[in-house]
Amino acid sequence: MRKVCGQDRHNRKQITSTLTENPEIHSPLKTSTKTVLPHHANSSEGPPTSSHASRRRWRSWFTAAGFASPWLIGLLALFVYPFVVSLYWSFCQYDLINPPRFVGLDNYQQLANEFATGTGIAHALWNTGYYALLSVPLSIVLGVGLATLLSCDVRGQSIFRTLFYLPSVIPVVAASILWMWLLNPTDGLVNSILGSLGLWQPQWFASPAELVSPESLTSAAWAGNSAPIGSKDALVLMSLWGMGNFMVIYLAAIGDIPKSLYEAARIDGAGPVRRFVNVTLPLLTPIIFFNLVMGLIQSVQAFTQIYIVSEGRGAPADSTLVISLHLFLSAFQHLNMGYASAVAWLLFAMLGIATWFLFTTSRRWVYEGVR
Amino acid sequence: MNAFSSIRGVLTVTIVAILGIWLLVTQQWLTANDTQIPADREEVVFWHFWGGADRAIVEDVAKRFNASQDDYYVHAIAMPGNNLDLKFFLSVTGGDPPDLLNIDDPVIADWGHRGAILALDEVTSPEEVERLEAWLFPAARRLVTYQDRLYGVPNGLDIRALYVNKTMLARYGLTSPKTIDDLDHIANTIAPPGQTEPYQRHGYLPDSRRIWAWGPVFGGQFYEASDGRVTLTNPQIESALAWMVSYRNRYGPAEIARFRHGDQSLPGKTFPLFAERYAVVMDGQWRVRDIRAFQKSQAEKREEVTQFDAIPLPTPPGGKPNAGWVNGNNFVIPRGSNASRGAWAFIKFWCGFDGQEASAAETCVAGGWIPVSQRVVDEPAFEQFLQEEPLFRTFIELAGSENQYPVPVIPGAPYFNNEVKNLAESAMSSTTEPDLPRMLQETEARIQTHVDRARNPQ
Repeated sequence: MRKVCGQDRHNRKQITSTLTENPEIHSPLKTSTKTVLPHHANSSEGPPTSSHASRRRWRSWFTAAGFASPWLIGLLALFVYPFVVSLYWSFCQYDLINPPRFVGLDNYQQLANEFATGTGIAHALWNTGYYALLSVPLSIVLGVGLATLLSCDVRGQSIFRTLFYLPSVIPVVAASILWMWLLNPTDGLVNSILGSLGLWQPQWFASPAELVSPESLTSAAWAGNSAPIGSKDALVLMSLWGMGNFMVIYLAAIGDIPKSLYEAARIDGAGPVRRFVNVTLPLLTPIIFFNLVMGLIQSVQAFTQIYIVSEGRGAPADSTLVISLHLFLSAFQHLNMGYASAVAWLLFAMLGIATWFLFTTSRRWVYEGVR
Repeated sequence: MNAFSSIRGVLTVTIVAILGIWLLVTQQWLTANDTQIPADREEVVFWHFWGGADRAIVEDVAKRFNASQDDYYVHAIAMPGNNLDLKFFLSVTGGDPPDLLNIDDPVIADWGHRGAILALDEVTSPEEVERLEAWLFPAARRLVTYQDRLYGVPNGLDIRALYVNKTMLARYGLTSPKTIDDLDHIANTIAPPGQTEPYQRHGYLPDSRRIWAWGPVFGGQFYEASDGRVTLTNPQIESALAWMVSYRNRYGPAEIARFRHGDQSLPGKTFPLFAERYAVVMDGQWRVRDIRAFQKSQAEKREEVTQFDAIPLPTPPGGKPNAGWVNGNNFVIPRGSNASRGAWAFIKFWCGFDGQEASAAETCVAGGWIPVSQRVVDEPAFEQFLQEEPLFRTFIELAGSENQYPVPVIPGAPYFNNEVKNLAESAMSSTTEPDLPRMLQETEARIQTHVDRARNPQ
């Protein structure tokens, strides 16, 4: 191989950059190359420049597709195919072993029956709704609150930010086991602290009780040192622990708010609360909206932590049997893939409607700047 | 850009190629070492879920089998127990199932009904299957029989009895319970109801999941096989549930939930009986060895050695003696197995059928497992083991009882199992007085619908 000296390399770079920057020099060179080829010389498909451009476009398209192919194949095989085939299966009796058999609307009929009797999917939907409707708003309120506090110019700010974000990087399985230990009703850390303070000691994952229910308003529910706080409430608490992801986004958004707006508000006599309500909050609404949609989808799809704390069956007494777990058990334990596919499509439709509703109503409360 | 146009590019490509070749060679070498199957033998791929010390026992059985004959070679593969059934289904769907599988979930009927596993009469002669039926304990036979056909063989039985801390009972002037009233008396004496402070110990607390054991003890059946009816509403099952719920009324649902979850925070998997949290606990035969180890450690520390007993579940008036719930680990041969004859030979070797009882007794002693046949129990090696572990004898007696029942072996059994456990859990944790007849009726209807659907898909 010929050794390339420094001057050669410099000259080559210079030529390349000249060709790249000046197409007028670049094109004639290429065109002249083409004219010596008999095929192109006799071609009647149009001017040689456009043919070359088209070929170059195709080549670059193939190159791009080649690089993207691992992802594209994954998308087609693991997302598009299951997505389409699950729609077909939702109209079939399918047990994973024998071929699917078309049964029309049977699976949807079964879902309707369960809604009518308040069993199966209706129960799972209640559990999912309870979890999502508590965990998402609470994570937004706490996330915004924490981000506001952490954006204050105080010593050790970065340490606090790291500490609050840390739970988000802990694997969900490890976090779930940790929380099971923390919330052990007998000698978990949380109940030990509550007990030493003379407060109620809930049964957490051991009880199907619900804090947000009419029964919790009765004095009997709070008798002795017990409290009507059960497994779903414990899951909500767990979800709030991992809200660091959202908090980081709020923190970045608060950093983007122009300081001049705060200064103007201060000159107008606005105190910290009014500045937060009238400046910070409106400018955060696009981010709150994003986190609301993402949080809703994530909480409805929550599975791993619920599978771990509920012995994989929604214990105690089906109180943690959320839709994703119901779907999993139907498909792989009860071998009813057709019904599970119908549940998946119902879940998809419900999430679609909820997201559409949020987008529709967002025009009323999300600040999008001056149009 | 062409990767070969510079020295750096050539070097990179060379390094990547060398790494790739090295990986391939290493993988081949490791795989070759892992499965050195003699050329003249047929490989039997065996999936199981045992880990830790048990895995070594399984591998030893496979080794002994491989050394014992010339036709087959068992290749035992330990799979994570969690969702083994799911992995199995994916292998069946993918067309590459193992030749033999061991599973502990109540799925025999579901799989047999759907044609995922072979009935034994498809693998061997009807005469041999008939001999096997007569050879097995009744409980072992029930575990694997669906529509009068055997779909597998349990390699061991899991039987529940009551473990009693005799030393603790003696402190309260009590003895081991023989009837349900005795058990209630123990519970009331050690943990008198109405205490305002959280309890530190209990005499006995029923576990809601054990409704499957108490139902037969009270004389009830969860399912009537003759007409395919779910029978949760029969009076005996209702009595069993009402008795369990009486503990909720005594101590309150919160106390029961609190105390039960406290067991989980004992270090490791410590038996709560050792910590004297209870005087009486229902558990399986595997605790016999824990007790022995505990007593040994007490003796070494020169502490007073706690005395334990293992007794059959006490009965109410009109209840069934030596009754309870049985489950086990079952060998099944997947449809599509490439070596079903080899798999069958290995099953017989492990379980001791067909004159191989001595070898099976050796395996059961090593694992502390309950044999599936009286003939294995009668082997000298196992007799010797029973003399060394007298508590184990109770479990052997229960294994031979006609009153040990598994979760009904019918399609939809996993759902049946979960729903019955949920029913008992709901009744025991209810903050208001549970309406048991209504709960039983609703659950029965729900299970019946599911079972009918699983049995007769439209």
